[in-house]
Amino acid sequence: MLCQSCEKRQATTHIKTILNGELKEYNLCPECAAKLGYGSFFGNFGLDIDKIFGSFMESFGNERSAKRCSFCGSSFEDIAKSGKVGCAHCYEEFNDKLLPSIQRIHGRTTHTGKLARSAGAEVKIKNEISRCRYELEEAIKTQEFEKAAQLRDKIRELEGNMNTAGGESK
Amino acid sequence: MSEVIKQRKDVSDVVISTRIRFARNMKDYPFPCRLNEEKKRKVASIVKEAALGGHSAISDRFKYIQMSELTQEEAVSLVERHLVSPEFISDRQGRGLLLLDDESVSIMINEEDHIRIQVIRPNMDLDGAYDLADKIDTLFDEQLNFAFDDKLGYLTQCPTNIGTGMRASLMLHLPALRESGAMGKISASLAKLGFVIRGMYGEGTDPKGSVYQLSNQVTLGISEKEAINNLRDIATQIITQERAAREAMAKNISVLDKIFRAYGILQYAKLLSNDECMKLLSDLRFGVEIGVFENIDFDTINHLMIEVQPATLMKNIGKKLNPHERDRIRAEVVRSALMRKQVPASRRLEE
Repeated sequence: MLCQSCEKRQATTHIKTILNGELKEYNLCPECAAKLGYGSFFGNFGLDIDKIFGSFMESFGNERSAKRCSFCGSSFEDIAKSGKVGCAHCYEEFNDKLLPSIQRIHGRTTHTGKLARSAGAEVKIKNEISRCRYELEEAIKTQEFEKAAQLRDKIRELEGNMNTAGGESK
Repeated sequence: MSEVIKQRKDVSDVVISTRIRFARNMKDYPFPCRLNEEKKRKVASIVKEAALGGHSAISDRFKYIQMSELTQEEAVSLVERHLVSPEFISDRQGRGLLLLDDESVSIMINEEDHIRIQVIRPNMDLDGAYDLADKIDTLFDEQLNFAFDDKLGYLTQCPTNIGTGMRASLMLHLPALRESGAMGKISASLAKLGFVIRGMYGEGTDPKGSVYQLSNQVTLGISEKEAINNLRDIATQIITQERAAREAMAKNISVLDKIFRAYGILQYAKLLSNDECMKLLSDLRFGVEIGVFENIDFDTINHLMIEVQPATLMKNIGKKLNPHERDRIRAEVVRSALMRKQVPASRRLEE
């Protein structure tokens, strides 16, 4: 499909937008998409994020592995083609194949931040530690030294918990 | 930190609104792309139950809307008011929306993910918006089995959202930076930092009304708090640049001419197309921003920018209108809003 803006290059970006009260769909090439403000965080490469993700994974898809997710039935090919993961279990099932793309997109592969109720005990402590470390940095920056000292003590305590209890404590 | 907040001055001359969005999914159901309509309905009813049946005071304030039951105008108006995404109304089967009574919270069910919690606040209020989204998220977490991985965080249909699943955005009015042609450069350098800035209304190279949306892109390996603080830092820089550009333009007679013409047309026009109206409202806002008009407040203009959108216009009037009729009604809406403000063009900037 050709780009609807320049009518020259191949369209790779699909955009849904509201224009004068109507839902419009556009197919654009990466250049025009970037020009029109739909450049992604890979914009400086002149490529669209879905395309990177899709094509990157396609190279794996060529292996034609017959493996399917036991929960939702997605194959890795399905995921690579659509850029959409089928279910939570796919992330485990195709972990080794997904991880390089995830690394490419985010630059990192380990979550820090809010945890769901279902998160493991050890990760909960680790998370608390990294949260405290971040707050400690902030406290030092703003010269709130009393708060910083409290945070430092808390971090030590949490680290102690992790070493002795082996992550059993909550 | 508290020092920073204390020193934060009002930025409503640049920041129109703040938005925080969380993407969440349930572990025991495939993501929406792998659900048929029946399963989507099932997911929608579970999420609805979790929200409305909760013991929190906020539960009573939610209204559930089955998207397939809305008219096209009602659905499009939700997009114009930034309550749902364009994608959400492109196929409305099996999709549901939970809307808080004051419309500050909208929860999309079966958009790209099972649950999209979105909080919108006027002006710059990242912490306030985040706290509310966080609270609602925790309420869901208590009742639903979220798809979460110790290493990858919250799991989402698109891997670009995994980790925190959080997108924080600010809607910015940047007429001076746009006029000066700096937006391309800014957009490119933001991309390198993991942020994106794009036009808010319509498609054009010419973001209607010079309204832009600035948001974070990276969601894995960075905590919500860090992401929000980074966004605030970036926004602060953009605000400073925009204000500097405004100051440089404020004495330019051509710029002033444009602003006063916009004011004149908005007050007296009998027909206003959506495009023209957005452009003029943006010029008018620019005038307020540089202190040309007294008595017009940002809220009035912010509201007008949404009220004049076609579907919202028809929804408020309560009937379908053809484009010509819309242009007439739009002009009336704008005129009466400005009349109420009774704004004589006040003192000019010293020339």
